Amino acid sequence: MSEDTLKIKAFSVKDIVFDTKYRFTNGHLAIPETISTSLPANFESITIRIVKPHHLDVQTNTIMDICPISTKVLGKVGDGITHTLTGAYFLITGADTTGIQLHDFGASNGLLKDKISLGKAGTPNEDDYMIFFDVLLKPNFSFDRQLVTTIFTLADQYLQPIRNILKMINGRYADETHEYSNESHPGKPKVVVVKEVAGQGAMYDNLLFPDEPSGMANGVSIIDMNNFPVLLTPNEYRDGAIRAMV
Amino acid sequence: MGVGPSTKETTLHHFRDPLVAVFGDDPDIDFQGVIVVGTPQDNLLKNLVGKRVAKWLQAMRTDGAVISADGWGNSDVDFMNTMSEIGHVGISVVGLKFIGTQATFVVTNEYTPFVLDINKSKAGIETTVVGENNLDLRDANKALGFLKLKMRSDLKTK
Repeated sequence: MSEDTLKIKAFSVKDIVFDTKYRFTNGHLAIPETISTSLPANFESITIRIVKPHHLDVQTNTIMDICPISTKVLGKVGDGITHTLTGAYFLITGADTTGIQLHDFGASNGLLKDKISLGKAGTPNEDDYMIFFDVLLKPNFSFDRQLVTTIFTLADQYLQPIRNILKMINGRYADETHEYSNESHPGKPKVVVVKEVAGQGAMYDNLLFPDEPSGMANGVSIIDMNNFPVLLTPNEYRDGAIRAMV
Repeated sequence: MGVGPSTKETTLHHFRDPLVAVFGDDPDIDFQGVIVVGTPQDNLLKNLVGKRVAKWLQAMRTDGAVISADGWGNSDVDFMNTMSEIGHVGISVVGLKFIGTQATFVVTNEYTPFVLDINKSKAGIETTVVGENNLDLRDANKALGFLKLKMRSDLKTK
């Protein structure tokens, strides 16, 4: 396989249940109800919730991010093989015990069906499962970069065992395979997409080049890069080289 | 002001980015890649990062660029600054951002007419509904068409 080729193999999730151990067999995903590490001092609780398709009459705290569950099987972000789940997406939500929402600029807490526009590039479809990672903080927290990074890292650690299972699945059983390459078309006008992302102050941030697609670990913060421009190949972008935070 | 729920691009959005999908799929352009740039607080850095984007595109002999943002308000300064810097080095540029009725430009310049509005809400506001005002495939196709026209007309006047 050329270094310029990226294969994304998608495995469809048919249902999700709680169990003591992580499992993914024939489209049936099992996840634990709690995180395996102890809670940081300013955390009251973390609740994992499974929301089934068409069951959106539930209350939610503000949605900080929605991310796909993907893992690198071969190569680095942007080439090789990536396995990803379809039909199930991961949402990070949060507030404190008094109801103060963890948001930047307008909170999306409320009745889920009124607070999410399904079927967008950045949101699940109506037939998709949603896994909620809901963080409840003790009052008088300081909403800073450290806190956000801690929340997102805990969420990422919760996902990693699913990724580890996905890595070991035989790719021939994938429900869909998409192949991408960084094609050049000599003689045609050269075009670039410039994406301005948030990288300001203490609160919002974006990470680039995490180890796992759309992951957190070893990602480099755009704030730490002083917001300087970085070039990504189309395939790196398609492979989850950028992780949005709050 | 910053990034609201209805305009925020989630990690899932980046993974399935409509701009990358559309621009990466068109054989009539030579798609070079995606430049990601942040929004510094400091004014000196704001100007500097915009200039660096323009220099980078110039060095790659880029003919046209589309710039998009998921925030609005204070970050409009960064947006218009980077867009102007790209335009000033002779590269055709169009923009995509949330405008609606709530985020109209405070100041306009020669580049503001080339910014397309990605608002989807009836009232033209930040609705706090996640994903509602996100850039979609239609916006991406519109931007690509608009950029092609802009490149053609800029070529004539060069």
